[in-house]
Amino acid sequence: MLEISGIDVFHDDLQALWDVSMTIDDGQIVSLVGSNGAGKSTLMQAVAGTLRPKTGSIVFDGVRLDRLPAHKIVETGICMAPEGRRLFPRMSILENLEVGASVKKARRARQETLDWVHEVFPILRARSGQKAGTLSGGEQQMLAIGRALMSLPRLLLIDEMSLGLSPIAAQSISEVIRRVNASRMLAILLVEQDVQLALSLAHRGYVMENGRIVGQGPAAELLCSEEIKEAYLGFRKAQQ
Amino acid sequence: MNAVIQTLLIGIVVGALYSLVALGFGLIMGVMRFVNIAHGSFIIIGGYIAYWLFTLWGIDPYLSIPAVMLCMFGMGLLLYKLALAPLLKYPRAEMRIDKSLLITFGVTWILDNAVTLVWTPDTRSVITSYSGSTFDILGARLGFVGLTGLVIAILVAIALHLLLRKTYFGKHVRAATEDSGAASLSGVNVQRTYLISCGIAAALAGVAGVVIVSSYSIAPSGGLNWLLTAMVVIVLAGEGNIGHILPAGLILGVLQSMSTLVVSPAYQQPISLIVFILVLMFRPNGLFAGRG
Repeated sequence: MLEISGIDVFHDDLQALWDVSMTIDDGQIVSLVGSNGAGKSTLMQAVAGTLRPKTGSIVFDGVRLDRLPAHKIVETGICMAPEGRRLFPRMSILENLEVGASVKKARRARQETLDWVHEVFPILRARSGQKAGTLSGGEQQMLAIGRALMSLPRLLLIDEMSLGLSPIAAQSISEVIRRVNASRMLAILLVEQDVQLALSLAHRGYVMENGRIVGQGPAAELLCSEEIKEAYLGFRKAQQ
Repeated sequence: MNAVIQTLLIGIVVGALYSLVALGFGLIMGVMRFVNIAHGSFIIIGGYIAYWLFTLWGIDPYLSIPAVMLCMFGMGLLLYKLALAPLLKYPRAEMRIDKSLLITFGVTWILDNAVTLVWTPDTRSVITSYSGSTFDILGARLGFVGLTGLVIAILVAIALHLLLRKTYFGKHVRAATEDSGAASLSGVNVQRTYLISCGIAAALAGVAGVVIVSSYSIAPSGGLNWLLTAMVVIVLAGEGNIGHILPAGLILGVLQSMSTLVVSPAYQQPISLIVFILVLMFRPNGLFAGRG
Protein backbone atom coordinates (compact mmCIF):
# COMPACT_ATOMS: atom_id res chain seq x y z
CA MET A 1 0.00 0.00 0.00
CA LEU A 2 2.60 2.54 1.09
CA GLU A 3 6.14 1.92 -0.08
CA ILE A 4 8.93 4.20 1.05
CA SER A 5 12.20 3.36 -0.63
CA GLY A 6 15.55 4.78 0.32
CA ILE A 7 14.64 8.39 1.05
CA ASP A 8 17.06 11.05 2.22
CA VAL A 9 15.36 14.10 3.74
CA PHE A 10 16.92 17.41 4.70
CA HIS A 11 15.89 20.29 6.92
CA ASP A 12 17.52 23.04 4.85
CA ASP A 13 21.15 21.87 4.76
CA LEU A 14 20.87 19.49 7.66
CA GLN A 15 20.25 15.88 6.74
CA ALA A 16 17.58 14.33 8.96
CA LEU A 17 16.88 10.97 7.27
CA TRP A 18 19.37 8.59 5.67
CA ASP A 19 18.20 5.93 3.25
CA VAL A 20 14.92 5.21 5.03
CA SER A 21 12.67 2.47 3.67
CA MET A 22 9.37 1.29 5.04
CA THR A 23 6.32 -0.67 3.94
CA ILE A 24 2.79 -0.39 5.26
CA ASP A 25 0.21 -2.97 4.19
CA ASP A 26 -3.55 -2.54 3.92
CA GLY A 27 -5.30 -2.25 7.24
CA GLN A 28 -2.13 -2.42 9.32
CA ILE A 29 -1.21 -0.31 12.32
CA VAL A 30 2.49 0.50 12.14
CA SER A 31 4.28 2.19 15.01
CA LEU A 32 7.42 4.21 14.62
CA VAL A 33 9.49 4.37 17.78
CA GLY A 34 12.77 6.01 18.67
CA SER A 35 14.18 8.71 20.88
CA ASN A 36 13.63 12.44 20.42
CA GLY A 37 15.28 13.77 17.29
CA ALA A 38 15.57 10.33 15.70
CA GLY A 39 13.64 11.57 12.66
CA LYS A 40 10.17 10.11 13.26
CA SER A 41 8.33 13.35 12.68
CA THR A 42 10.51 14.12 9.68
CA LEU A 43 9.47 10.83 8.11
CA MET A 44 5.81 11.62 8.76
CA GLN A 45 6.22 15.04 7.17
CA ALA A 46 7.86 13.53 4.12
CA VAL A 47 4.89 11.19 3.64
CA ALA A 48 2.35 14.00 4.21
CA GLY A 49 4.15 16.22 1.70
CA THR A 50 5.36 19.05 3.91
CA LEU A 51 8.98 18.00 3.35
CA ARG A 52 10.45 16.78 0.06
CA PRO A 53 12.84 13.84 0.01
CA LYS A 54 16.02 14.56 -1.92
CA THR A 55 16.46 11.01 -3.12
CA GLY A 56 14.36 7.87 -3.08
CA SER A 57 10.64 7.55 -3.61
CA ILE A 58 7.34 7.30 -1.75
CA VAL A 59 4.65 5.37 -3.60
CA PHE A 60 1.06 4.94 -2.41
CA ASP A 61 -1.06 2.48 -4.40
CA GLY A 62 1.02 3.14 -7.49
CA VAL A 63 1.01 6.95 -7.13
CA ARG A 64 4.31 8.79 -6.59
CA LEU A 65 3.76 11.06 -3.57
CA ASP A 66 7.16 12.66 -3.26
CA ARG A 67 6.49 15.28 -5.92
CA LEU A 68 2.91 16.11 -4.95
CA PRO A 69 1.86 19.12 -2.83
CA ALA A 70 0.35 18.31 0.57
CA HIS A 71 -3.30 18.85 -0.41
CA LYS A 72 -2.96 16.50 -3.40
CA ILE A 73 -1.60 13.82 -1.10
CA VAL A 74 -4.77 14.14 0.98
CA GLU A 75 -6.71 13.46 -2.24
CA THR A 76 -4.84 10.19 -2.76
CA GLY A 77 -6.10 8.99 0.63
CA ILE A 78 -3.44 9.88 3.19
CA CYS A 79 -4.18 12.31 5.97
CA MET A 80 -2.13 13.38 8.98
CA ALA A 81 -3.13 14.45 12.46
CA PRO A 82 -0.02 16.59 12.94
CA GLU A 83 2.19 17.03 15.97
CA GLY A 84 0.76 19.68 18.26
CA ARG A 85 -2.75 19.08 16.80
CA ARG A 86 -2.62 22.30 14.71
CA LEU A 87 -6.38 22.93 14.97
CA PHE A 88 -8.04 26.12 13.75
CA PRO A 89 -8.61 27.60 17.21
CA ARG A 90 -11.00 30.39 16.27
CA MET A 91 -13.25 28.12 14.23
CA SER A 92 -15.91 25.93 15.78
CA ILE A 93 -15.45 22.19 16.22
CA LEU A 94 -17.93 21.52 13.44
CA GLU A 95 -16.11 23.92 11.11
CA ASN A 96 -12.78 22.26 11.88
CA LEU A 97 -14.33 18.95 10.87
CA GLU A 98 -15.83 20.47 7.73
CA VAL A 99 -12.45 21.79 6.63
CA GLY A 100 -11.20 18.23 7.07
CA ALA A 101 -13.64 17.15 4.36
CA SER A 102 -12.18 19.48 1.74
CA VAL A 103 -11.12 17.05 -0.94
CA LYS A 104 -13.68 16.14 -3.58
CA LYS A 105 -14.61 12.60 -2.66
CA ALA A 106 -14.81 13.52 1.04
CA ARG A 107 -17.04 16.49 0.25
CA ARG A 108 -19.61 14.24 -1.38
CA ALA A 109 -19.81 11.92 1.60
CA ARG A 110 -19.51 14.68 4.17
CA GLN A 111 -22.73 14.06 6.12
CA GLU A 112 -22.19 10.30 6.51
CA THR A 113 -18.56 10.80 7.48
CA LEU A 114 -19.57 13.44 10.00
CA ASP A 115 -22.10 11.04 11.57
CA TRP A 116 -19.42 8.39 11.77
CA VAL A 117 -16.85 10.74 13.35
CA HIS A 118 -19.49 11.92 15.83
CA GLU A 119 -20.17 8.31 16.70
CA VAL A 120 -16.46 7.63 17.21
CA PHE A 121 -15.96 10.79 19.28
CA PRO A 122 -19.36 11.67 20.83
CA ILE A 123 -17.84 14.68 22.58
CA LEU A 124 -17.31 16.38 19.23
CA ARG A 125 -21.05 16.27 18.60
CA ALA A 126 -21.90 17.55 22.07
CA ARG A 127 -19.58 20.54 21.69
CA SER A 128 -20.18 21.14 17.99
CA GLY A 129 -20.51 24.93 18.17
CA GLN A 130 -17.68 25.53 20.62
CA LYS A 131 -14.43 27.12 19.42
CA ALA A 132 -11.66 24.57 18.97
CA GLY A 133 -9.26 26.72 21.01
CA THR A 134 -11.31 26.12 24.16
CA LEU A 135 -10.91 22.32 24.19
CA SER A 136 -8.74 20.35 26.60
CA GLY A 137 -5.66 18.52 25.33
CA GLY A 138 -7.40 15.18 24.97
CA GLU A 139 -10.40 16.71 23.21
CA GLN A 140 -8.08 18.60 20.87
CA GLN A 141 -6.37 15.38 19.90
CA MET A 142 -9.77 13.79 19.25
CA LEU A 143 -10.69 16.72 17.05
CA ALA A 144 -7.35 16.54 15.20
CA ILE A 145 -7.91 12.84 14.51
CA GLY A 146 -11.58 13.47 13.69
CA ARG A 147 -10.61 16.19 11.23
CA ALA A 148 -8.16 13.84 9.55
CA LEU A 149 -10.82 11.10 9.37
CA MET A 150 -13.18 13.54 7.64
CA SER A 151 -11.02 13.33 4.51
CA LEU A 152 -11.83 9.59 4.31
CA PRO A 153 -8.21 8.45 4.33
CA ARG A 154 -7.09 4.90 3.74
CA LEU A 155 -3.89 5.66 5.60
CA LEU A 156 -4.00 7.83 8.70
CA LEU A 157 -0.80 9.35 10.07
CA ILE A 158 -0.81 10.31 13.73
CA ASP A 159 2.20 12.24 14.98
CA GLU A 160 2.83 12.25 18.74
CA MET A 161 -0.50 10.74 19.61
CA SER A 162 -0.36 11.04 23.40
CA LEU A 163 2.07 13.92 23.89
CA GLY A 164 0.76 16.15 26.66
CA LEU A 165 -2.31 14.01 27.35
CA SER A 166 -3.44 12.46 30.62
CA PRO A 167 -3.02 8.66 30.78
CA ILE A 168 -6.80 8.27 30.66
CA ALA A 169 -7.12 10.42 27.54
CA ALA A 170 -4.25 8.54 25.90
CA GLN A 171 -5.97 5.26 26.73
CA SER A 172 -9.31 6.30 25.25
CA ILE A 173 -7.66 7.56 22.08
CA SER A 174 -5.79 4.28 21.66
CA GLU A 175 -9.11 2.45 22.02
CA VAL A 176 -10.56 4.56 19.22
CA ILE A 177 -7.54 3.86 17.03
CA ARG A 178 -8.01 0.15 17.50
CA ARG A 179 -11.69 0.47 16.67
CA VAL A 180 -11.39 2.52 13.48
CA ASN A 181 -8.58 0.28 12.32
CA ALA A 182 -10.70 -2.83 12.81
CA SER A 183 -14.03 -1.48 11.58
CA ARG A 184 -12.83 0.38 8.48
CA MET A 185 -9.65 -1.50 7.58
CA LEU A 186 -7.92 1.85 7.98
CA ALA A 187 -4.13 1.64 7.91
CA ILE A 188 -2.43 3.78 10.54
CA LEU A 189 1.13 5.01 10.90
CA LEU A 190 1.70 6.04 14.47
CA VAL A 191 4.43 8.06 16.14
CA GLU A 192 4.15 7.64 19.88
CA GLN A 193 6.61 8.41 22.65
CA ASP A 194 5.23 5.71 24.95
CA VAL A 195 6.90 2.69 23.37
CA GLN A 196 4.91 0.18 25.37
CA LEU A 197 1.61 1.73 24.22
CA ALA A 198 2.84 2.20 20.65
CA LEU A 199 3.91 -1.39 20.20
CA SER A 200 0.91 -2.90 22.00
CA LEU A 201 -1.39 -1.09 19.54
CA ALA A 202 0.54 -1.93 16.41
CA HIS A 203 0.85 -4.90 14.11
CA ARG A 204 4.35 -3.91 13.02
CA GLY A 205 6.99 -1.66 14.44
CA TYR A 206 9.96 0.27 13.11
CA VAL A 207 12.77 1.57 15.31
CA MET A 208 14.58 4.74 14.31
CA GLU A 209 17.86 6.11 15.55
CA ASN A 210 19.79 9.12 14.26
CA GLY A 211 17.74 9.34 11.08
CA ARG A 212 18.03 5.68 10.16
CA ILE A 213 15.79 2.65 10.53
CA VAL A 214 17.70 0.34 12.87
CA GLY A 215 15.11 -2.33 13.52
CA GLN A 216 11.75 -3.61 12.38
CA GLY A 217 9.43 -6.53 12.81
CA PRO A 218 6.10 -7.65 14.20
CA ALA A 219 5.22 -5.38 17.13
CA ALA A 220 4.86 -8.25 19.59
CA GLU A 221 8.39 -9.46 18.80
CA LEU A 222 9.87 -5.98 19.12
CA LEU A 223 8.17 -5.57 22.46
CA CYS A 224 9.98 -8.65 23.75
CA SER A 225 13.38 -7.88 22.22
CA GLU A 226 16.21 -7.16 24.61
CA GLU A 227 17.38 -4.04 22.75
CA ILE A 228 13.99 -2.38 22.87
CA LYS A 229 13.47 -3.27 26.49
CA GLU A 230 16.82 -1.84 27.39
CA ALA A 231 16.74 1.28 25.27
CA TYR A 232 13.14 2.41 25.65
CA LEU A 233 11.34 0.50 28.35
CA GLY A 234 13.82 1.01 31.17
CA PHE A 235 14.62 -2.66 31.70
CA ARG A 236 18.19 -3.60 32.57
CA LYS A 237 19.83 -6.52 30.83
CA ALA A 238 19.59 -9.58 33.10
CA GLN A 239 22.78 -10.19 35.02
CA GLN A 240 24.81 -12.92 33.45
CA MET B 1 -28.99 69.49 18.24
CA ASN B 2 -29.72 69.55 14.56
CA ALA B 3 -26.07 70.10 13.81
CA VAL B 4 -25.14 67.10 15.96
CA ILE B 5 -27.54 64.78 14.12
CA GLN B 6 -26.32 66.15 10.80
CA THR B 7 -22.68 65.54 11.72
CA LEU B 8 -23.49 62.10 13.06
CA LEU B 9 -25.20 61.16 9.80
CA ILE B 10 -22.27 62.42 7.76
CA GLY B 11 -19.97 60.45 10.04
CA ILE B 12 -21.93 57.26 9.48
CA VAL B 13 -21.95 57.70 5.70
CA VAL B 14 -18.24 58.48 5.60
CA GLY B 15 -17.49 55.70 8.07
CA ALA B 16 -19.32 53.13 5.95
CA LEU B 17 -17.19 54.17 3.00
CA TYR B 18 -14.06 53.84 5.15
CA SER B 19 -14.98 50.29 6.02
CA LEU B 20 -15.72 49.51 2.37
CA VAL B 21 -12.28 50.86 1.50
CA ALA B 22 -10.70 48.70 4.20
CA LEU B 23 -12.46 45.38 3.51
CA GLY B 24 -10.28 44.23 0.62
CA PHE B 25 -7.10 45.47 2.25
CA GLY B 26 -8.01 43.65 5.45
CA LEU B 27 -8.83 40.45 3.59
CA ILE B 28 -5.39 40.21 1.97
CA MET B 29 -3.62 41.23 5.15
CA GLY B 30 -5.60 38.83 7.31
CA VAL B 31 -5.45 35.81 5.05
CA MET B 32 -1.99 36.04 3.54
CA ARG B 33 -0.12 38.45 5.83
CA PHE B 34 0.59 40.60 2.79
CA VAL B 35 0.41 44.37 2.99
CA ASN B 36 -1.06 45.46 -0.31
CA ILE B 37 0.03 49.06 -0.79
CA ALA B 38 -1.52 48.93 -4.26
CA HIS B 39 -5.00 48.62 -2.73
CA GLY B 40 -5.49 52.39 -2.99
CA SER B 41 -4.57 52.33 -6.67
CA PHE B 42 -7.03 49.49 -7.22
CA ILE B 43 -9.77 51.63 -5.69
CA ILE B 44 -8.88 54.47 -8.03
CA ILE B 45 -8.81 52.18 -11.08
CA GLY B 46 -12.21 50.79 -10.12
CA GLY B 47 -13.48 54.37 -9.99
CA TYR B 48 -12.03 55.16 -13.42
CA ILE B 49 -13.61 52.07 -14.96
CA ALA B 50 -17.00 53.21 -13.66
CA TYR B 51 -16.22 56.70 -14.96
CA TRP B 52 -15.49 55.30 -18.40
CA LEU B 53 -18.56 53.11 -18.49
CA PHE B 54 -20.60 56.19 -17.56
CA THR B 55 -19.07 58.72 -19.95
CA LEU B 56 -18.57 56.38 -22.93
CA TRP B 57 -21.73 54.28 -22.73
CA GLY B 58 -23.88 56.14 -20.25
CA ILE B 59 -24.07 53.19 -17.86
CA ASP B 60 -25.25 54.22 -14.40
CA PRO B 61 -22.35 53.87 -11.92
CA TYR B 62 -24.33 51.70 -9.51
CA LEU B 63 -25.40 49.38 -12.32
CA SER B 64 -21.79 49.14 -13.48
CA ILE B 65 -20.68 47.62 -10.16
CA PRO B 66 -20.79 43.99 -11.38
CA ALA B 67 -18.70 44.84 -14.45
CA VAL B 68 -16.21 46.82 -12.37
CA MET B 69 -15.96 43.97 -9.87
CA LEU B 70 -15.28 41.49 -12.65
CA CYS B 71 -12.48 43.62 -14.17
CA MET B 72 -10.94 44.21 -10.78
CA PHE B 73 -11.22 40.52 -9.88
CA GLY B 74 -9.07 39.80 -12.93
CA MET B 75 -6.57 42.44 -11.85
CA GLY B 76 -6.44 40.88 -8.40
CA LEU B 77 -5.60 37.50 -9.93
CA LEU B 78 -2.83 39.12 -11.96
CA LEU B 79 -1.44 40.89 -8.90
CA TYR B 80 -1.31 37.60 -7.05
CA LYS B 81 0.27 35.64 -9.89
CA LEU B 82 2.88 38.24 -10.80
CA ALA B 83 3.76 39.93 -7.53
CA LEU B 84 2.55 38.05 -4.48
CA ALA B 85 2.76 34.32 -5.20
CA PRO B 86 6.57 34.41 -5.50
CA LEU B 87 6.70 35.71 -1.92
CA LEU B 88 5.15 32.56 -0.49
CA LYS B 89 8.58 30.95 -0.46
CA TYR B 90 9.24 33.03 2.66
CA PRO B 91 7.74 30.91 5.37
CA ARG B 92 7.72 33.51 8.15
CA ALA B 93 4.95 36.11 8.29
CA GLU B 94 7.26 39.03 9.14
CA MET B 95 9.29 38.42 5.98
CA ARG B 96 6.14 38.34 3.90
CA ILE B 97 4.94 41.62 5.36
CA ASP B 98 7.97 43.73 4.52
CA LYS B 99 8.67 42.07 1.16
CA SER B 100 5.05 42.49 0.05
CA LEU B 101 5.16 46.10 1.21
CA LEU B 102 8.10 46.86 -1.07
CA ILE B 103 6.76 44.95 -4.05
CA THR B 104 3.25 46.40 -3.92
CA PHE B 105 4.74 49.86 -3.42
CA GLY B 106 6.41 49.35 -6.78
CA VAL B 107 3.13 48.11 -8.24
CA THR B 108 1.48 51.30 -6.95
CA TRP B 109 3.99 53.43 -8.85
CA ILE B 110 3.40 51.54 -12.04
CA LEU B 111 -0.39 51.64 -11.69
CA ASP B 112 -0.58 55.31 -10.71
CA ASN B 113 1.54 56.33 -13.69
CA ALA B 114 -0.39 54.08 -16.02
CA VAL B 115 -3.61 55.65 -14.76
CA THR B 116 -2.18 59.12 -15.41
CA LEU B 117 -1.32 58.08 -18.97
CA VAL B 118 -4.75 56.69 -19.69
CA TRP B 119 -7.02 59.14 -17.89
CA THR B 120 -4.73 62.24 -17.55
CA PRO B 121 -4.00 63.79 -14.14
CA ASP B 122 -7.39 65.56 -14.03
CA THR B 123 -9.77 65.00 -11.18
CA ARG B 124 -12.84 63.09 -12.33
CA SER B 125 -16.22 62.31 -10.91
CA VAL B 126 -19.49 60.89 -12.12
CA ILE B 127 -22.40 63.29 -11.89
CA THR B 128 -25.80 61.76 -12.53
CA SER B 129 -29.29 63.25 -12.53
CA TYR B 130 -29.80 62.18 -8.92
CA SER B 131 -26.39 63.31 -7.64
CA GLY B 132 -27.77 66.41 -5.95
CA SER B 133 -30.94 64.98 -4.46
CA THR B 134 -31.27 64.75 -0.68
CA PHE B 135 -33.56 63.30 1.97
CA ASP B 136 -34.63 64.73 5.30
CA ILE B 137 -33.98 62.44 8.23
CA LEU B 138 -34.81 63.69 11.75
CA GLY B 139 -34.41 67.24 10.51
CA ALA B 140 -30.99 66.57 9.00
CA ARG B 141 -30.22 66.28 5.31
CA LEU B 142 -28.67 63.22 3.75
CA GLY B 143 -27.57 63.02 0.11
CA PHE B 144 -28.90 60.23 -2.08
CA VAL B 145 -25.41 59.13 -3.13
CA GLY B 146 -24.29 59.11 0.50
CA LEU B 147 -27.20 56.90 1.47
CA THR B 148 -26.55 54.56 -1.47
CA GLY B 149 -22.90 54.34 -0.45
CA LEU B 150 -23.96 53.42 3.07
CA VAL B 151 -26.33 50.71 1.84
CA ILE B 152 -23.69 49.30 -0.54
CA ALA B 153 -21.05 49.21 2.19
CA ILE B 154 -23.35 47.36 4.56
CA LEU B 155 -24.47 44.92 1.86
CA VAL B 156 -20.89 44.20 0.83
CA ALA B 157 -19.80 43.67 4.45
CA ILE B 158 -22.71 41.27 5.01
CA ALA B 159 -22.00 39.43 1.76
CA LEU B 160 -18.35 38.99 2.66
CA HIS B 161 -19.32 37.85 6.14
CA LEU B 162 -21.69 35.22 4.73
CA LEU B 163 -19.11 34.12 2.18
CA LEU B 164 -16.54 33.54 4.92
CA ARG B 165 -18.97 31.87 7.34
CA LYS B 166 -21.22 29.75 5.18
CA THR B 167 -19.37 28.58 2.09
CA TYR B 168 -16.70 25.96 1.71
CA PHE B 169 -14.44 28.54 0.14
CA GLY B 170 -14.93 30.84 3.12
CA LYS B 171 -14.05 28.11 5.57
CA HIS B 172 -10.92 27.37 3.55
CA VAL B 173 -9.99 31.05 3.70
CA ARG B 174 -10.43 31.12 7.46
CA ALA B 175 -8.55 27.87 7.95
CA ALA B 176 -5.66 29.18 5.80
CA THR B 177 -5.73 32.40 7.83
CA GLU B 178 -5.34 30.54 11.11
CA ASP B 179 -2.79 27.92 10.07
CA SER B 180 -1.97 27.56 6.39
CA GLY B 181 0.18 24.48 7.00
CA ALA B 182 -2.59 22.64 8.84
CA ALA B 183 -5.05 23.72 6.15
CA SER B 184 -3.03 22.12 3.37
CA LEU B 185 -2.57 18.98 5.48
CA SER B 186 -6.38 18.86 5.65
CA GLY B 187 -6.60 18.94 1.86
CA VAL B 188 -7.14 22.67 1.31
CA ASN B 189 -5.46 24.03 -1.82
CA VAL B 190 -4.00 27.01 -0.01
CA GLN B 191 -2.48 28.64 -3.11
CA ARG B 192 -5.82 28.62 -4.90
CA THR B 193 -7.54 30.00 -1.83
CA TYR B 194 -5.00 32.83 -1.77
CA LEU B 195 -5.45 33.50 -5.47
CA ILE B 196 -9.22 33.84 -5.24
CA SER B 197 -9.03 35.90 -2.03
CA CYS B 198 -6.79 38.29 -3.89
CA GLY B 199 -9.32 38.56 -6.71
CA ILE B 200 -12.13 39.19 -4.24
CA ALA B 201 -10.06 41.84 -2.42
CA ALA B 202 -9.47 43.69 -5.70
CA ALA B 203 -13.16 43.40 -6.61
CA LEU B 204 -14.03 44.96 -3.24
CA ALA B 205 -11.60 47.78 -4.01
CA GLY B 206 -13.51 48.24 -7.26
CA VAL B 207 -16.83 48.65 -5.41
CA ALA B 208 -15.22 51.24 -3.13
CA GLY B 209 -13.93 53.04 -6.24
CA VAL B 210 -17.44 53.23 -7.72
CA VAL B 211 -18.86 54.69 -4.50
CA ILE B 212 -16.01 57.21 -4.32
CA VAL B 213 -16.27 58.33 -7.94
CA SER B 214 -20.00 58.91 -7.60
CA SER B 215 -19.98 60.63 -4.22
CA TYR B 216 -16.57 62.34 -4.25
CA SER B 217 -14.01 62.47 -7.02
CA ILE B 218 -10.89 60.59 -8.03
CA ALA B 219 -7.46 61.55 -9.31
CA PRO B 220 -4.55 59.26 -10.25
CA SER B 221 -2.57 60.02 -7.10
CA GLY B 222 -5.52 59.77 -4.72
CA GLY B 223 -5.01 56.10 -3.89
CA LEU B 224 -2.49 56.55 -1.10
CA ASN B 225 -4.92 58.65 0.92
CA TRP B 226 -7.54 55.94 0.82
CA LEU B 227 -4.89 53.36 1.62
CA LEU B 228 -3.98 55.31 4.75
CA THR B 229 -7.62 55.32 5.80
CA ALA B 230 -7.82 51.57 5.18
CA MET B 231 -4.78 51.04 7.42
CA VAL B 232 -6.31 53.06 10.25
CA VAL B 233 -9.53 51.04 10.01
CA ILE B 234 -7.63 47.75 10.03
CA VAL B 235 -5.69 48.75 13.12
CA LEU B 236 -8.95 49.70 14.83
CA ALA B 237 -10.58 46.44 13.82
CA GLY B 238 -7.57 44.33 14.77
CA GLU B 239 -5.58 42.40 12.19
CA GLY B 240 -7.38 39.36 10.85
CA ASN B 241 -10.78 40.41 12.25
CA ILE B 242 -12.66 40.96 9.02
CA GLY B 243 -15.99 40.93 10.86
CA HIS B 244 -14.93 43.99 12.87
CA ILE B 245 -14.06 46.17 9.89
CA LEU B 246 -17.55 47.63 9.44
CA PRO B 247 -17.94 48.81 13.07
CA ALA B 248 -14.33 50.05 13.07
CA GLY B 249 -14.93 52.11 9.91
CA LEU B 250 -18.13 53.56 11.34
CA ILE B 251 -16.38 54.52 14.59
CA LEU B 252 -13.60 56.24 12.68
CA GLY B 253 -16.03 58.10 10.43
CA VAL B 254 -18.19 59.29 13.31
CA LEU B 255 -15.14 60.31 15.37
CA GLN B 256 -13.72 62.35 12.50
CA SER B 257 -17.03 63.93 11.70
CA MET B 258 -17.88 64.75 15.32
CA SER B 259 -14.47 66.35 15.75
CA THR B 260 -15.55 69.10 13.36
CA LEU B 261 -17.99 70.28 16.01
CA VAL B 262 -15.04 71.05 18.27
CA VAL B 263 -12.06 71.79 16.02
CA SER B 264 -11.58 72.92 12.45
CA PRO B 265 -12.50 70.40 9.72
CA ALA B 266 -8.92 70.71 8.50
CA TYR B 267 -7.86 68.45 11.40
CA GLN B 268 -9.87 65.42 10.26
CA GLN B 269 -6.88 63.54 8.84
CA PRO B 270 -4.63 64.27 11.85
CA ILE B 271 -7.42 63.08 14.12
CA SER B 272 -7.65 59.72 12.37
CA LEU B 273 -3.86 59.40 12.63
CA ILE B 274 -3.97 60.25 16.34
CA VAL B 275 -6.58 57.52 16.77
CA PHE B 276 -4.29 55.20 14.79
CA ILE B 277 -1.34 55.87 17.12
CA LEU B 278 -3.41 55.69 20.31
CA VAL B 279 -4.91 52.35 19.31
CA LEU B 280 -1.47 50.98 18.41
CA MET B 281 -0.15 52.14 21.79
CA PHE B 282 -2.98 50.99 24.03
CA ARG B 283 -4.99 48.38 22.11
CA PRO B 284 -2.49 46.90 19.65
CA ASN B 285 -4.84 44.01 18.88
CA GLY B 286 -7.68 46.31 17.92
CA LEU B 287 -10.55 48.04 19.69
CA PHE B 288 -12.56 44.85 20.01
CA ALA B 289 -9.75 42.55 21.17
CA GLY B 290 -10.63 40.17 23.96
CA ARG B 291 -14.27 39.77 22.99
CA GLY B 292 -13.45 36.56 21.13
